[in-house]
Amino acid sequence: MNKKRWKDIPLARKVMLAVGSIMTMMLAINVILYGQVNKTIKRMDTVYSSNVNLTELSDSLQRVQEDLYAYLSVKSSDSLESYYRSKQNYVNLLDKLSSQISSNPSRLLEKNIKSMSETYASITEEAVTAKRSRNVEKYKELYDQSRKLYGYINFYINELNSQQFRNNSSSYQTLREMLEYLEISSLVLMVLMMGLGAMMLFGITKGMIEPLTNLAETANLVGKGNFNVKMPRTDALDEVGIVTRAFNTMVESLEEYIIRTKESMEKEQQMMEKELLMENHLKEAQLKYLQSQINPHFLFNSLNAGAQLAMMEDAEKTCIFVEKMADFFRYNVKKGLEDASLEEELTAVDNYIYILNVRFAGDIHFTKAVDESLMDCRIPSMILQPIVENAVNHGIRNIDWEGKILLEITGAANQILIRIKDNGKGMSQERIREVLSGNSGEAEEQSDSTGVGMNNVISRLELYYDQKNLVEINSPGVNMGTEIILRLPRTGGKK
Amino acid sequence: MKKSENKGIGLLLLGIFIVGFFLFFTNNFYKSVWKKSGLEKAEEIRNYDRQYEMIVGSGKSEFWQAVYESARKTAEEHDAYVEFHASDMETGYDEIDYMEISIASGVDGIILEYNGEDALKNEIDKAEAAGIPVITIMNDAPDSRRQSFVGVNDYQMGQAYGEQIVRLLDENTKRILILLDSEKGDLEKNQLYSQISNAVLSQNNTEGIEIRAENLAPENKFDIEEAIRMIFQSPEGPPQILVCMDEMTTECAYQAMIDYNMVGEVKIIGYYISETIRSAVEKGLISVTCTLDAEGMGKDCVDALWELKQEGRANSYYNAELEFLGKEDLRKARKAVSAETAEEEE
Repeated sequence: MNKKRWKDIPLARKVMLAVGSIMTMMLAINVILYGQVNKTIKRMDTVYSSNVNLTELSDSLQRVQEDLYAYLSVKSSDSLESYYRSKQNYVNLLDKLSSQISSNPSRLLEKNIKSMSETYASITEEAVTAKRSRNVEKYKELYDQSRKLYGYINFYINELNSQQFRNNSSSYQTLREMLEYLEISSLVLMVLMMGLGAMMLFGITKGMIEPLTNLAETANLVGKGNFNVKMPRTDALDEVGIVTRAFNTMVESLEEYIIRTKESMEKEQQMMEKELLMENHLKEAQLKYLQSQINPHFLFNSLNAGAQLAMMEDAEKTCIFVEKMADFFRYNVKKGLEDASLEEELTAVDNYIYILNVRFAGDIHFTKAVDESLMDCRIPSMILQPIVENAVNHGIRNIDWEGKILLEITGAANQILIRIKDNGKGMSQERIREVLSGNSGEAEEQSDSTGVGMNNVISRLELYYDQKNLVEINSPGVNMGTEIILRLPRTGGKK
Repeated sequence: MKKSENKGIGLLLLGIFIVGFFLFFTNNFYKSVWKKSGLEKAEEIRNYDRQYEMIVGSGKSEFWQAVYESARKTAEEHDAYVEFHASDMETGYDEIDYMEISIASGVDGIILEYNGEDALKNEIDKAEAAGIPVITIMNDAPDSRRQSFVGVNDYQMGQAYGEQIVRLLDENTKRILILLDSEKGDLEKNQLYSQISNAVLSQNNTEGIEIRAENLAPENKFDIEEAIRMIFQSPEGPPQILVCMDEMTTECAYQAMIDYNMVGEVKIIGYYISETIRSAVEKGLISVTCTLDAEGMGKDCVDALWELKQEGRANSYYNAELEFLGKEDLRKARKAVSAETAEEEE
């Protein structure tokens, strides 16, 4: 993957590359075209410069002739000086002319002009010398000669001039045509380049924009809740590729997140329902209790007053009985809404048994075998007493033999095992099923109960621990007793 | 995605190719035009070591053009260039002017058609004094310091013309007019004239034939035409035999003969063989025409100059071949030429 593909180049660089290459091409074309135009214009300049040179030459020659005449006629040192100056100037100009015998007429003319001018220069020189030595005849003759030559040279210069002009005119014409051609060709090139550039740019931007448009459309679909649509997979490393991949990831995690949220919302819903249910049950329990009690505080106070009265009358047993009554009901009222320690629950059971034993003159033989280390464990309140009450009311009441109730609390690693066993009437399997499923219909027949039935206990346990099958009811048969086993998760207390 | 990318690259390459091609095309075209517009056509220019001048009277005549062409080609072999000047050109300069120009230009040799002027003789001497050899062509300047003469001498020429005139003589021949060109000097001393008249008069039955020579000294180029028309319009009528001594005169006489409807009455002895003259001779309208070997003359001039340069001396006289061509000769020549070309084509 050393080779970088086009789609791996970042957008900014892509645009830069495209625009840059177009601009470079434009520049190259311009440089070439302007180079040509420049060359042509320079050539056009030279076309006329040669004519200008010839005019200069002709003027210079004229000055030589004039100065010669001036000197010959006046013989002043000024005119001599100016003669020499103009002659030197003329000779200098001559250097530029070709001295080649050539088949090119212009060149040949140049050569002839040059040689004639040399002859002319020597004749003028001689004339000046003759004038100095006052050889009148000679300088007159030489002057005539020089005039003749002057005419010839001038004629040749003109000839050369017109010849060059002819050449140059045709060159000029071609050059002009060339310029026109260059103009058109540069225009065509520019238009071509522009078209090409526009196409290139269009292609590139389309390549960049198209995935983005797709992305936007897909995002709209996703926004409407369709999580099944996805962008086609891409391995491009440019920004569009990155955005596309990020979008796909986003859609995936969005879907996941929504599923999770749905789940947790469902859970919360369930929890809320459960809580409401639990509260309902408690309320129900309390209501039933409160219905049976006019005013607990009045009752407690009355009971306390009774206890004090018994004390004063030295009726100790009565006093204890009344106190336990008061404790039992207080617990019932106080702990209605909370959980309680196992110890508190046991106390409530003890109080209840004591009260019953006073009522039924010690008919109930209650024994308990409790692992003391579990005393601090927390369990829902008002659990044990109703079960024990159940064992009393439906188990051992109205039996011919001596009724016994055994409460056994043992602990496993994560469990508290509570076993309440009686030797009473027992239960049919049908009845057990009814009780466990909560359809016992016990409410009507509860005339002598504290108000909290088995149904209520089981529901509350299940709600509290959020677990089913916490309660197991065993009964071997009629008159064979009943065993209720609670398997509660261990919470609180020392392990 | 891949497909469109490839398509894009293809399009891009195509575009670049088109632009590149166009650019290449433009550049090539530009270069070719550039070459064409060049001020110097380098491949056609040649530089030479020596410069010769050729100064003649009639620059437009085909004869002189042929002579010049031959001289130029010969000179090229000797690394020399021949410049051509004619006094009838638009410059307004005459032979003397061109001589002076040539001398002042310090050329390496001059080929001059002498026109009989004394002043021109002085120029010849001046050139020789300046170390420039002068070769006279066609007409000699015997008492000048010229190095050589290339041409026919008048004696020879007069005899040859005489022969041709004799052939054309018949009972109707009353008058013979010889139109000498202006370059010939004094008529009385003219060898040409005397040779012609001798040749004619030595024949039998030639008493009473008037032989006259006329010098057509043209002030300008229309003079010849006018003079010839005058001859045809003269009260006694045109001569029966008209001898022309140059190309222009021949053509004018031929034209006048047709215009005045005198074909058959006037017999023309022409000079040189231009296209007009050639067709006239082939049709029998001009009896015979005299030709000089133009190529040979041009070559001889340059060879003479070359010998002078190489060996310091040259022949003082190069004879030019003289030939009279009649109808039959030209037809034969034409057949030979067409046969040759046919062969070549095969």
